[in-house]
Amino acid sequence: MKRRLRFVLAAAGVAVAALWAVTGATARTTSSSSILIDGSTETVTNIDPAGNYDYGTATVDYMIFNRLLASGPGTNLAPHPELATKCSSVGGLATWACDLRKGVEFSNGDPFTSTDVKFSFDRTIKIKDPSGISSLISNLKSVTTSGPYRVVFHLGHPQSTWPNVLTTTSGSMIVDHKVYPADKILPSTSPQVGTGPYILSKYTPGQQAVFTPNPHYWGPKPANGGVIINYYKESSTMKLALEKGEIDMAFDAFAPNDLTSLQKEKSVTVYVGAGAGIRYLVMDVGAQAKKLGVPTDNLAVRQAIAYLMPRQDIATRVYHGQVKPLYSMVAAGLPGHIDAFKTVYGAAPNPAKAKAVLQQAGVSTPIALTIWYTPSHYGPASADEFAEIQRALDASGLFKITLKSAEWSQYVNTLGTTKGVFQLGWFPDYVDPEDYINPFYPKGQFLQNGYDNPKMDALAIKEEGAKTQEDRLAIVEQEQMLAAKDVPIVPYWQNSMVAVAHTDVKGIRSTLDPTYIMRFWLISK
Amino acid sequence: MSGSSTSLKTYALTRLALVVPMVLILLTLVFLLMRVAPGNPIAAALGGHVAPSVIKQITHQLGYDKPLYVQYGNYLWGILHGNLGKTITDRRPVSSIIVENGGATLELTVAAGLVAIVVGVVVGLLAGRFRDSWIDVGGRLFGIVAYAMPVFFLGFLGQLLFGVWLGWLPTSGQASPITQAFLPIHTHILIIDAIWAHNWGALWDVIKHLILPATTLGIVIGGVFIRLVRVNVIRSLKDDYVEAARARGIGERSVVYRHAFRNALVPVVTIVGLQMALLLGGAILTEETFNWPGIGSTLVTYLENRDYAGVQGIVVVFALAVVVASLVIDFVNAFVDPRIRY
Repeated sequence: MKRRLRFVLAAAGVAVAALWAVTGATARTTSSSSILIDGSTETVTNIDPAGNYDYGTATVDYMIFNRLLASGPGTNLAPHPELATKCSSVGGLATWACDLRKGVEFSNGDPFTSTDVKFSFDRTIKIKDPSGISSLISNLKSVTTSGPYRVVFHLGHPQSTWPNVLTTTSGSMIVDHKVYPADKILPSTSPQVGTGPYILSKYTPGQQAVFTPNPHYWGPKPANGGVIINYYKESSTMKLALEKGEIDMAFDAFAPNDLTSLQKEKSVTVYVGAGAGIRYLVMDVGAQAKKLGVPTDNLAVRQAIAYLMPRQDIATRVYHGQVKPLYSMVAAGLPGHIDAFKTVYGAAPNPAKAKAVLQQAGVSTPIALTIWYTPSHYGPASADEFAEIQRALDASGLFKITLKSAEWSQYVNTLGTTKGVFQLGWFPDYVDPEDYINPFYPKGQFLQNGYDNPKMDALAIKEEGAKTQEDRLAIVEQEQMLAAKDVPIVPYWQNSMVAVAHTDVKGIRSTLDPTYIMRFWLISK
Repeated sequence: MSGSSTSLKTYALTRLALVVPMVLILLTLVFLLMRVAPGNPIAAALGGHVAPSVIKQITHQLGYDKPLYVQYGNYLWGILHGNLGKTITDRRPVSSIIVENGGATLELTVAAGLVAIVVGVVVGLLAGRFRDSWIDVGGRLFGIVAYAMPVFFLGFLGQLLFGVWLGWLPTSGQASPITQAFLPIHTHILIIDAIWAHNWGALWDVIKHLILPATTLGIVIGGVFIRLVRVNVIRSLKDDYVEAARARGIGERSVVYRHAFRNALVPVVTIVGLQMALLLGGAILTEETFNWPGIGSTLVTYLENRDYAGVQGIVVVFALAVVVASLVIDFVNAFVDPRIRY
């Protein structure tokens, strides 16, 4: 027995030693190759540009396809040439003509012409995919061609920001008319053909997308020998993979605690750039609020919440400085942004003013109010975020807040029609102040919170038809001030674009900007 | 003899016939639960970004505003024609999910099953053989802790110890990104694909990635087997034939391992098959923990997105897998064990 036991223990020891020897300490397994390996927690739906309206798939599409106009990198946010060399309005803002770049080829060698542009937009509208992407170009009535290198867009109503729409994600990407069906989506596992810097050489749904440089690309050669995007379900798993050297970099998205931990690691660098995503609190107003019996139909109640919003505490305590306080629905850094809420309500919470405005309105306190949030769709810190809001409002003695939550698929179903006061986030379709105002304030917006101000509607129409940028931005400022005074929504933070990479990875900083596009072709190792 | 084979045939046919209503009931339950639960896949994908009118229009386009019985009828009609449908969120045919992600789950569950059997049988046998000794106490304690511990927690501990502190093993994925990118895929079971490609570096990479998740799940399932094997070994050691063998002077080792142990394993074989459901359920959590690209973690993603087609299709496959495994075990038992009568 003793001899057998000794034998078993010795065998176990040999097995452990062998395991240790062959596995070894994990060195950076990716370091020797010029292929860049990225981690992401995003998901990919349909790679065909006519079939997706989500950020994760757009990241893939930017690698394979081009748009007519681009925004960024860096501070170059105004629409500038990509596949079009010039786009200008013709006889009014309802007609736009674009001259196309000559000598461009698709990745299969097919020549790029105006036929492909017309085909791409026509099929997006015709397919009307359930992803909703066609709603982005809902103002487009038709596309005509004038020779092989000129297209003309005919809009339903004048829109000065049409060039910005041409810079958006998938709805404006150009595909090869010889490859893509006109009336249905090309499956993601079929070869995708675009004019972008890479070819998608392998795609395994939910797991990995592999890109190799496109030999027919019209622009500068990518700075790396290819890219692999590895998809993770949890940011903690992705963080481990990064620390162990299984991936070179990771972008989108880390939980705040994971990012804080990574900032202490010597083997990686955390890059932080301007972001464009925002968070805001929506309040039902008017008839909608009365229907639900929430007190926010009273302007004084909404103003008091605006006075008490603990922006800095949320940014510091919950997000460890990874987000910035936001004082307008228009993201900071965009042309036309003003800190309207700071002007009207101050930079820091002001319980005295909140109390005064309620007293003046004859509102008795504390006001019982239920606030809704969704615990995982906007990241795992939402619960902490709303705990801070609850703490600040309760501490003033003016409110008694009850928090409720529901998972996204249940939460988003009804929004303002059942929730009264609720959390939402926004990421723009195109980086322009218009896309931070029109979805929320004019009549017919998706919030269903009952906000209806004809003055705001009139400003929105005027802004769309403004003839010069100066005129347009002046209107945008008026819209922001009106939004702050009516306060159906309280914005409170703006994100940053964050990427984490091993120290031998270069070029990330050049692609961090409010467009939130990770331009992998600029990154090398 | 002919009476016995007739009754076995009747039993087999009856069990096969019962599969249809079982799966139909399960399909119906899943269909109804998905529809009754709040939220729908269109709102989940587009809510908070587009006008309600757009969501309504798309819901109508996909037929999700039709009466439930119409949707149910369409769904059953598709199933009858072998069409499990396409997912709503990423338009993948459910059949391709089964093939592509099912391979990863099969790889994990087979490896975990082997670990469970080895752990369960070895520890259970030792515990039963050395009853009431420290080996027995240790084995029983290990079995209880293993079975009671949540699989994801054990997974986290394994990742921390072997992945982070010791740095011996990878903490996620079925293979390294480079292996996954360049290994030709034929079966989606990467061990087989690596052997097919004669790529021994890739084979070792895949095995390294399999060790932690398979061991984690295997230990938890093995906890069930430990107790079962122990009890059966103790029972077998008390049987008359064992006493008779000892009385005839056969050595204790031979009595235990050649006689008692084999007979003790017979009921365990039945339980191993029935644990298929436990294995698949545990595989879902294991896949989530280790970012394993199996059908379980895919199911969770579709559940979060209220993707009706994805959830229904995958649940059907899970149900069929459990039913078929149970059937096979029952047939094997009925065939080999002459004591079983119908």
